[in-house]
Amino acid sequence: MRIDCVVNGEPRRADDVWAGESLLHVLRERLGLPGAKNACEQGECGSCTVYLDGKPVCACLVPAGQARGREVVTVEGLGDGDLHPVQRAFIAAGAVQCGFCTPGLIVAVHDLLARTPSPAEEEIREALAGNLCRCTGYEKILTAVRLAAGREHES
Amino acid sequence: MTGQILPGARSDGSAWSVGAVGGAVAPGCGSSGGVRCVGGGVGGIGASPVRPDGALKVRGEFAFSSDLWADDMLWGATLRSPHPSATIRGIDVGAALAVPGVYAVLTADDVPGDRHYGLEVADQPVLAVDEVCYRGEPVAIVAADHPETARRAAERIVVDYGVREPVTDPEVALAGGRLVRHVPIRKGDPAAVAEVVVTGEYRVGMQDQAFLGPESGLAVPAPDGGVELYVATQWLHADQRQVAAALGLPVELVRLSLAGVGGAFGAREDLSMQVHASLLALRTGRPVKMVYGREESFVGHVHRHPAILRYEHGATRDGELVYVRARILLDGGAYTSTTPAVVANAASLGVGPYRVPNVTVDAYGVHTNNPPCGAMRGFGAVQACFGYESQMDRLAEAVGLDPVEVRVRNALAEGGSMPTGQVVEGPAPVARLLELVRDRPAPPPVGDDPRQLPGGVANTTAPEQVVRGVGYAIGIKNVCFSEGFDDHATARVRLELIGGEPTALVHTAAAEVGQGLVTVQAQIARTELGVERVVVATADTSVGSAGSSSASRQTYMTGGAVRAACRAVRAALLARLAGGSGAGADDGGVADDGGAVGDGGVVGDGGTVGDGGGRVAGGGLELAGGVIRDAAGRTLGTLVDLLAAGPVERSVRWRHRPTRPLDPVTGQGDAHVQYAFAAHRATVDVDPELGLVRVVEIATAQDVGRAINPQAVLGQIQGGTAQGLGLALMEELQVVDGVIRNPSFTDYLIPTILDVPPMAVDVLELADPHAPYGLRGVGEPPTISATPAIVAAIRAATGLPLARVPVRPEHLTGTG
Amino acid sequence: MRPFDYTAAQSVSQALAGGGAGTAYLAGGTTLVDLMKLEVMTPRQVVDINRLPLRGVSADRDGLHVGALERMSDVAGHPLVTGGYPVLAQALLRSASPQLRNMASIGGNLLQRVRCGYFRDTSTGCNKRRPGSGCPAVDGENRGHAILGTSDSCVATHPSDLAVALVALDARVRLVGRGGTRDVRLADFYLLPGDTPEREHDLRPGELVTRVTVPALAWATRSAYLKIRDRQSYEFALASAAVALDLRGGVVRDVRVAVGGVGTRPWRLPAVEEALRGRAARPEVFEAAAALAVEAARPLTHNGFKTTLLRRTIVRALTNLVG
Repeated sequence: MRIDCVVNGEPRRADDVWAGESLLHVLRERLGLPGAKNACEQGECGSCTVYLDGKPVCACLVPAGQARGREVVTVEGLGDGDLHPVQRAFIAAGAVQCGFCTPGLIVAVHDLLARTPSPAEEEIREALAGNLCRCTGYEKILTAVRLAAGREHES
Repeated sequence: MTGQILPGARSDGSAWSVGAVGGAVAPGCGSSGGVRCVGGGVGGIGASPVRPDGALKVRGEFAFSSDLWADDMLWGATLRSPHPSATIRGIDVGAALAVPGVYAVLTADDVPGDRHYGLEVADQPVLAVDEVCYRGEPVAIVAADHPETARRAAERIVVDYGVREPVTDPEVALAGGRLVRHVPIRKGDPAAVAEVVVTGEYRVGMQDQAFLGPESGLAVPAPDGGVELYVATQWLHADQRQVAAALGLPVELVRLSLAGVGGAFGAREDLSMQVHASLLALRTGRPVKMVYGREESFVGHVHRHPAILRYEHGATRDGELVYVRARILLDGGAYTSTTPAVVANAASLGVGPYRVPNVTVDAYGVHTNNPPCGAMRGFGAVQACFGYESQMDRLAEAVGLDPVEVRVRNALAEGGSMPTGQVVEGPAPVARLLELVRDRPAPPPVGDDPRQLPGGVANTTAPEQVVRGVGYAIGIKNVCFSEGFDDHATARVRLELIGGEPTALVHTAAAEVGQGLVTVQAQIARTELGVERVVVATADTSVGSAGSSSASRQTYMTGGAVRAACRAVRAALLARLAGGSGAGADDGGVADDGGAVGDGGVVGDGGTVGDGGGRVAGGGLELAGGVIRDAAGRTLGTLVDLLAAGPVERSVRWRHRPTRPLDPVTGQGDAHVQYAFAAHRATVDVDPELGLVRVVEIATAQDVGRAINPQAVLGQIQGGTAQGLGLALMEELQVVDGVIRNPSFTDYLIPTILDVPPMAVDVLELADPHAPYGLRGVGEPPTISATPAIVAAIRAATGLPLARVPVRPEHLTGTG
Repeated sequence: MRPFDYTAAQSVSQALAGGGAGTAYLAGGTTLVDLMKLEVMTPRQVVDINRLPLRGVSADRDGLHVGALERMSDVAGHPLVTGGYPVLAQALLRSASPQLRNMASIGGNLLQRVRCGYFRDTSTGCNKRRPGSGCPAVDGENRGHAILGTSDSCVATHPSDLAVALVALDARVRLVGRGGTRDVRLADFYLLPGDTPEREHDLRPGELVTRVTVPALAWATRSAYLKIRDRQSYEFALASAAVALDLRGGVVRDVRVAVGGVGTRPWRLPAVEEALRGRAARPEVFEAAAALAVEAARPLTHNGFKTTLLRRTIVRALTNLVG
């Protein structure tokens, strides 16, 4: 089947998509956007988090057909050419080790700060409870969120 | 404290720390996260420069092994055994071959070279030959034009199995002689007696590395009949050797490049899809990509050895250890993998960082039909630490001492000897690490925010329903490979002008698995060569082996190799300065650098250490900022001038000082390169009614010798501690009759951000006189003592003996 | 995943026309896509119903109405829910993860399938997945399984937190099919496994759940959902309790109690409620009442701890509400 949707602000088309392919597969293997990751493909880790019509979802559980006519934003679409403050904060805080969880987390953090510009500690943790990280123990991810919140608050 | 202080090292053997809650951003050195830089130039050793792959990773543009793409590529899939033990009477691939879009279906008969591989013993079949020994064992592989096609075709393969009763009990396996290795340790008097005796039996469940990046890679057939393999792994050259053997090809025709690695923690030391993808690529003549799903990943790699540990500690009434007797049984599963090393670690580290005059330890690794076990962060030391630290708390109670005091009283120190007879050289701050975590201010008592109580967001618990407990533990780990293994790492360093600016290219085969090795390599080059611009090339097999990214060895070994190669480059520059015409600028050979020169730079190169100054060998010259100056500060030359004649390149294969095997009867021998220590204090709030545990704070104190990159050191400590927390509270593969019943992230639970508390860290930098820059391996120690500290805290809160990890709610509420 | 045809319905009637054996309706996808990947569910036709006008959260004299296609996250944050029925909001927020709550529909949540490892593993027998093929959980790995409502054919726990809260509040579901519209009490909508564990709901082939209604209950403002699990978040319940309390002067005028994580369906506890009505809101009263919850419990080899845990969960839920 043919899937037409808007991805990172641009109209995109994928042809010959099998009905059983997920949005994650389409993004990664057909649209050249491997940013969203495939750590579990069961909705259990958040590494595939993307925006679907403005809400963070697990792309691995979205069937391709459901993406038709929808707006998708991936980690590749956040920076607008430059690095987004959330991305810069992750680097500066040392919140990136292997980096596999990073794209999903960045989308989740981007969403959190858009809704709650100065989140409290527990709010940050609750918002990121759906994103697993195996390398960092989350400490520097929390630092990155505070850093990004501080910067975003300033600007 | 004692210990050789090196010239140029920080003479106060200092500590630095990061607070627990609300770690404020500290200025300086371009880093953040409350880290105080410990010296070094911009981007050199001791600084925390941003990692070179960070921008790509946050953009989602970093190419992990599962992100690779080639035109014309096919997808591979694996058919795996559903039985833990069975003979194979026949395999019929006809129906699979008939599926449209399928290009190849291969079995063991199609393996042209060695049909078995393995890290220590080649006993694991590339594809099952006439039997299967664990559920999930690969039997056949398929290449097709869509991953779903490959998978469906694999299901059509008909395998005639003769199902056998599996051996799943390690005690039965041991009694039946299915022994992989027995390591005995005998020190002192085996019949020693003591006034106070405490015994215990402890169990550690099967933990999984659960890295996020699935096993994956791309194999591309080469015009010369070889194969280019892009893969996530921990050891390129070990993979290369095994792949070439299986393919029946000379090693030169099998070329590996490291693709982006999504975490490893030991699980990528053994092969997964490397040979399979290569076989399919060579058969079809097309690139083949293989990516495991998460369920497949759980059966596709080795796990941590589950363990049964029996201990008897004998001590004086004052709590001084007289003897320790231990029997440790490790279930190695179906194939050998690295079980021999795991057994040796458990045995040689089996009494912990303590002075014990009389030691009798027997550690066994056995074969069963359970899933194969091998390397996982802390291998062997994790299991032993849970045993001996649980015992130390029992001893404390028996003699009426507090848990820190009993440990301090028996603490190993520099110059003390291990149960293997090896003397601990260099600082061993066991007592000090315990005191550091003990003396940290206690976290504030539970407040009113329900999200900070056990059960967290589930709103289960009010403050008055909570009991707080505090627990301590300290662990010891060996760093690098042991028992006489000829371990080495190679680095090629090239210094040249690019765009008129001196630029260093560092090329090693060291696997960056997330720990920040690429950053460290660049930092060393900056410091040693006094240049700012460093490029770390992609790791591949065109340069010599760097050894495995495991055993906390890479900063030591690859760092040592990079340093040695940089110093060779410096020596060549010096020769040019002295009037050499540039001859020998490109030294095609690899110089071997081992033994004395490798020891922290104390001998043989003019007494330099290379700490933040990059002094050139001989005569007190200094190379920094691209300029060579003499001791009086006069400029003798610039890199720009010296490199005008052409680049300087040197390759060095670097070794640590040799180790010795363990005597097979007594377990005596100088088997380990280095010891590393970390201590933890865990504070937990327990809701005993509902069996809920919340870790309020976990404090770590660790001696890292020298922090090459403080921010990365913290990252390792925090990440390792979280994995120890997982083993304490929630991580276990449920293996029933040889079958993993929870191969998914729903049911194999790793800590979420709500499970991991604020972590306070104290870092000591007490130089190891034998190590490059005095550094100590960092990655494993924090995982080792975190687990027993948390369990000790729960015991303190509940009074329950808790002899098994992970601890579950029903262990606190009762199983009735 | 087996091959299938994907279509999107534009209206309820179109969706119903496309329904029947071999067809599955796709809403949020978090259950269906997951189980199709495992080939536990193998519909030949998937009808995407997300364009159907089954949205909205509203309240009138009859109660609170929630459209079946409302997303969990939207309902959890809706002022009518947080203000009037906190147990619903809590049950929703304690489910899954933020991403999954953004995707999953109310109807889908109620219709989700069990988490039993054998159900989800097509290499084993399972009476629910393949009638007559046996239940390996009875003698196998059953720590997470049920102690209430089990049969020799099936012991799997119903995993929905929302369903427990709704059952406590006596919710009804509206079902629309080719034969017409009917309202069914949610507690009756879920079936016990008995000899036919493959039949989980009173949902006829081709019927759609279109909305959920919670009868107006003024004192539901004092309600809560308590969930015990193996880690702090993102995990199913070992035991849970949905409780609403009409408390006047320290006396229980009325009460609702339903439990989850322990039953083959969301488990309302009328005997416990009866033992509380008119009594003082005191610990010994709560404990005596909670003991009734497990009188009919049939623990399995590995889940006996749930008996104790369930009693204590009920007591704690009531205690916390009294405050």
